[in-house]
Amino acid sequence: MAEQLVPAWEDVARRYGRQIYNYAYRLTGNRDDAADLVQEVLLRVKRGLDSYTPGSFDGWLWRITRNAFLDDMRRRKRRPTVALTELVAIPHTSTPSPDEVLAQVRLSDDVQVALLKLPIEFRECVVMCDVVGLSYEDIAAATKIPLGTVRSRIHRGRKMLRGLLSWPM
Amino acid sequence: MADVSRCRATEELLSAYLDGELLPDELAAAVEHLDGCETCIVTMRQLGEVRAAVRLLPWLEPPAETYVGLHPGDELSAYLDGELTTAEVELVTTHLGSCHDCRNELHDLDAARTAVRALRRVEPASSPVAPAAAAMGRGRHRRRLTLATAAAAATTAMVLAIAMATGGGGAPLDRASLATRHSARTSVEAGFSVIPASVSLEGVP
Repeated sequence: MAEQLVPAWEDVARRYGRQIYNYAYRLTGNRDDAADLVQEVLLRVKRGLDSYTPGSFDGWLWRITRNAFLDDMRRRKRRPTVALTELVAIPHTSTPSPDEVLAQVRLSDDVQVALLKLPIEFRECVVMCDVVGLSYEDIAAATKIPLGTVRSRIHRGRKMLRGLLSWPM
Repeated sequence: MADVSRCRATEELLSAYLDGELLPDELAAAVEHLDGCETCIVTMRQLGEVRAAVRLLPWLEPPAETYVGLHPGDELSAYLDGELTTAEVELVTTHLGSCHDCRNELHDLDAARTAVRALRRVEPASSPVAPAAAAMGRGRHRRRLTLATAAAAATTAMVLAIAMATGGGGAPLDRASLATRHSARTSVEAGFSVIPASVSLEGVP
């Protein structure tokens, strides 16, 4: 019975690979680091699926992802940096005008640069909430920090971003 | 004049308010305060714009190599049929370059697909309208026989094609080993080549 609820590794990879990649990219601003992280997470998921007990899959997966990210940061012993040449964006909309593309890329760059200036504990909560789309409860499960702390980190993170982004509000 | 302590209390709730994460009593308090406080409404609008800016960050695609270890599974048939996107084709192709099992599976799928496609077309009876009941007996029996023969031919053709694809053209036909190999994937071939494009039905009963 229980096995049916354990997702297959291939499905996890397909379904979450892109999310993990974007999570890592928004946290680090580096595409290579993001790709490395996806592979590391998928490897850990593969090893861990056997012992996974059905519950909050998102909480489980994002805890693995977060731990892999923190391990990687510790290993590198450097602050994540952003290479501006890597900030080439694939826009959501189908056929925007060149001006719109430029504006969108410029705005995205501003937001990415601002994100990277946030202390990591605020950045990760904002990214989990607004990039990955996790609920506060899932973020609390993934980070093992209390729900109230998640809430205040997201709020304070956004207030810092408001201060960092100079575009007119 | 806005009550400063009420403003501070409400401001703390604004992000969770935007995210739909407030408890019912918090929500009620926030709504009540926002109804009359211009300052907090401005703050909420600014936070909403920050939130939207992060949410609107474009999604980036991971490089294809990220998924190289991933077996395509069901996508292999779509790959054969040309039904994948360019990016997906690239991914599957890269994977096939380093995965023996998937190359073998593709081989088998291609053989089965070719065999089915090579099936002899069965012509319908001259009149598409069902004949009168009295005239049906023999005719229907014969047609059923014809269909049965075609089905047998198809099965034989498929087994032949799989044998040709997996064991080389002259390999003896061994259904049992084919079945085992197909499910257990114990045999590994040295290389991967395109199988014969069609299977002749000449001489098939």
